[in-house]
Amino acid sequence: MSTINIDQAGSYLGPNESSVNGAAQPVAQRDLAIWKPYQKVLFRIAFVFFLLMSLPSNWAWYRDALTLDWLHLHYRDLYDIARFGSGLSAFGNQIFGSPLNGYAIWVITLIFSTGVGLLWSAIGFLTKTEAKAYNLLYYWLKVVVRYRAGIGIIGFGFTKLMPTQLPYPSLGVLNTNFGDLTLQKVYWLSIGISPWYEVFTGIVEVAAGALLFFRVTTFWGAMLLFGALADIVYVNLAYDGGVHVYSSYFVLLSGFLLIDYIPRIYKLLIKEELTVPAVYYPTFPKAWQRYTRWTLKGATLTIFLGVLFYLQLVNFLYDPYKQPAIKGLSELRGNYEVSEFKLNNQSIAYSPLDTVRWQQATFEKWTTLTFKVNKPVNLDLSNGGGAPMRDINRTFELTGVAGGQRVFYYEADTVNKVLYLQDKNRGGARNQRNREYRGNTEGRVRSDKAKQAKDQWIPKEALAAIGPEDPKINPIARSTRRTKGIEEESKGGGKRNRMILNYQIQDGGKRVILSGINERKDSIYVVLNRYDKKYLLPESTLKAGSY
Amino acid sequence: MPAQKTLLNQSKIKNAELYLFRFFFLYFLLQLLPIDGQFWQHIFSTNWFKPEYRDIFYLTRYQPQFVPGGPSFLNWGIIAVLAAVGTVIWAQRDGELQNRDSLYYWLRVALRYRLAIGVIAYGFLKFFPLQAPPPSLSNLNTAYGDFSDWKIFSLSLGVVAGYQSFLGLVEIVGGALLLYRKTATIGTLIILPFTGNVFFSNLAYNGGEYVYSAYLIAIALYLFAFDGIRLFTLLSLERPTAPNVFQPVLLGWQKNGRLVLKTAFILFFVVLYGLQTRAGYAEGQYHFPRTAGLKGTEGIYNVAEFKLNGRAIPYSKTNPQRWQDVVFEKWNTVSIKSSRNVKVVSAPTEEIYPLDAERNYEYAGALGRHYYSYEVQGKQEKLILNNRNPNHAAEKLELNISRPNSSTIVLEGLNENRDSVYAVLHKLDKRYLIFEAQKTGRRQGLTL
Repeated sequence: MSTINIDQAGSYLGPNESSVNGAAQPVAQRDLAIWKPYQKVLFRIAFVFFLLMSLPSNWAWYRDALTLDWLHLHYRDLYDIARFGSGLSAFGNQIFGSPLNGYAIWVITLIFSTGVGLLWSAIGFLTKTEAKAYNLLYYWLKVVVRYRAGIGIIGFGFTKLMPTQLPYPSLGVLNTNFGDLTLQKVYWLSIGISPWYEVFTGIVEVAAGALLFFRVTTFWGAMLLFGALADIVYVNLAYDGGVHVYSSYFVLLSGFLLIDYIPRIYKLLIKEELTVPAVYYPTFPKAWQRYTRWTLKGATLTIFLGVLFYLQLVNFLYDPYKQPAIKGLSELRGNYEVSEFKLNNQSIAYSPLDTVRWQQATFEKWTTLTFKVNKPVNLDLSNGGGAPMRDINRTFELTGVAGGQRVFYYEADTVNKVLYLQDKNRGGARNQRNREYRGNTEGRVRSDKAKQAKDQWIPKEALAAIGPEDPKINPIARSTRRTKGIEEESKGGGKRNRMILNYQIQDGGKRVILSGINERKDSIYVVLNRYDKKYLLPESTLKAGSY
Repeated sequence: MPAQKTLLNQSKIKNAELYLFRFFFLYFLLQLLPIDGQFWQHIFSTNWFKPEYRDIFYLTRYQPQFVPGGPSFLNWGIIAVLAAVGTVIWAQRDGELQNRDSLYYWLRVALRYRLAIGVIAYGFLKFFPLQAPPPSLSNLNTAYGDFSDWKIFSLSLGVVAGYQSFLGLVEIVGGALLLYRKTATIGTLIILPFTGNVFFSNLAYNGGEYVYSAYLIAIALYLFAFDGIRLFTLLSLERPTAPNVFQPVLLGWQKNGRLVLKTAFILFFVVLYGLQTRAGYAEGQYHFPRTAGLKGTEGIYNVAEFKLNGRAIPYSKTNPQRWQDVVFEKWNTVSIKSSRNVKVVSAPTEEIYPLDAERNYEYAGALGRHYYSYEVQGKQEKLILNNRNPNHAAEKLELNISRPNSSTIVLEGLNENRDSVYAVLHKLDKRYLIFEAQKTGRRQGLTL
């Protein structure tokens, strides 16, 4: 055993057999013991930079992490802990008035780190207290980066492993023409149509993250992460996906971790020389150090591979976060032709050019009615993501979708056969903001309390028949976040188009008659004939939610 | 005693290793060599003095096939059996296998080049974004659910040329690294995840090239294995690691021969092929027909009036006779949307067809519309429409065309059932979100 002590805190882990090390080993050891001046300067900059990039810079993050209700967790609680953008935000997020496509914070952080790194170097040089090497600090910096990258990508990966991040298209989207979607939607859907492929991408991401938790597998995890996320960065830029900065973040972190390995690979494969890795690992001579290490590591693995897996599974099964969780009326579900349409008792014949008449209608398996009208709509072009708790705020089925599709959320009074409908689109860009409840303690949706008090458009007895939203999903999927979120999101939040429609089901469900008041307070009478649409796009055996 | 036992064990292990070596050597040799008829058929039916990129593409996509009916893993099984038999015979003839290192080396050389052209051939088709073309006007006006999963996969790739080029570049770089011994393993580190993803995509989206992509992956794995243990020792165990020491010994003419062969190989499969695909891209897509359509007709039209045997039929989404809208493509395709049933054609593999009649991309994996090629007879007065879909090959329409103004087309004549048909088409000023959102960005919202 040739263990060569370098300093008190660590040791060089040499090979057990000395058959191949020969003269190369002392060289490697010397490289470790004394760093070249430029290496030290670069390290100081990198140290500040990657610490700032890896640790949460937002106080709310710490507050949220500490105030979690650990006994009633929602997957998003842990997801939010895993997902945070970092860097120095104190100087704003623009350089010379430009956000640099979102990367300005990186540049600001780098400038700041360079300043600190140079100052650090200068002080060390002038006071002659410069260290010979930074093996221990470098080791711990890599630990921080490995765990930051690992936890972060696992948070993302589980939403694909249990395919919820890119949902299978709703009927309304299946009935929309390909050209009536945004590029972002086209890409997201292209994964969503194949949930098993989404699972595969999730496995890749979770595996990459898990491999980063161990030194032995760090190289492979970093390679996988670098390759997979470089692809995702390109996808986001090409399809205007909007997540390019956060995906670049993992490319940056994994790239940093790969730096150590590249000279070795070059030497072994390109130069074809005997390669002795210069490796430094600290030892933990005291029992409490070992226990602390194992506790922290064990907790990370348990929380982010075990608990998060469970929470995500529950989310997939009962509350897939991008589609409404509560089932719609099963006798209404399906596609319908509009065989008759009356507006204020005036019958309107079908024409694809008519700007009032419904052309087609669909009840989803959840609480959504979609109908098509040839009239421009102020579109919501966001990704339709986030973590809204209320079904009405889950908008993936309408964001980035044109073609005249109108999407309404309904609450059904099944006693009196009345649907209370609200437009899921509140009008374009406005819809994209202030929609969701952000956490247990942070943020609030915009609420308009004055209006809210008067705004009782659903009669009391109907409300009683409809019942509260929170307990309508499987009890196992309920959480503190959901309860609080539904409460917060119910406080007003801007005006929506509304309809109140009676429904009558005839002929064993082949025909549905809707009559009542539409969003412009006109009376409508609509006869829907069910048709059995055979899509060419196959359904998957893997379906999110229970409806 | 224990020492003897160890020695015995070691020789056993060595023996097993030799058997494995022989098996894999023969297995990959058989996978590599052009031993079925199709390869030679292709060779002899091609004019190699003037090769087109499709000729080279099909040459690179060779994989031995003994079982009729498309690529299947059964062929692998047959080759494995042959290799196993060969292993036994070989072991009896040459128990020691003295020239093992050399055999291993030259097999790897052959496999490296085989794999390289396999990925480079696809790489250039993506780099010059040919493999997945931008959607046609008819495709843009087809409901999402009316496409097959494989078609959506292709359309979704086709909407952004830059991303496809990026993927092609990755493939080309991975392939190029394989052409040099020292960078070959790094090449496999790029190709394994890339082609692995292609393989899983084929499985998940019902594509038709999962056998071929698995074939490339198998070769890449075999090549990677050469340095795999070394890399594991160096990067995972972080121990001192000895490099490969075997170098082929080339004497005199052999050195020049190697250089000439290698140069010729690269000139043909990389340079010539690359230039040809670029020229092909400049010329236009190979997925859509080449014959130009009637001038000034390109667009989507609402069918404002429709008569069948003289009787007007109002707008209807359910009447299979009633045309709902009509698309005139840039090329000589007319597609008509109606509720008339489509017997769909599936085309899950990449094919480069030279003839318009064979080019099936626009209607493959798509419902909702019937696609017709058309010929203009007389002075732009009569259109002869033939259904492009082989499942509807008998359907022929003869329509007189008149254009009272620039946005109106009147068609009158006989439909596929020889019924008289009359349709007035009004051009729609259709704005597509997929393009509009690229102009304005997504942050502002858009009324459409």
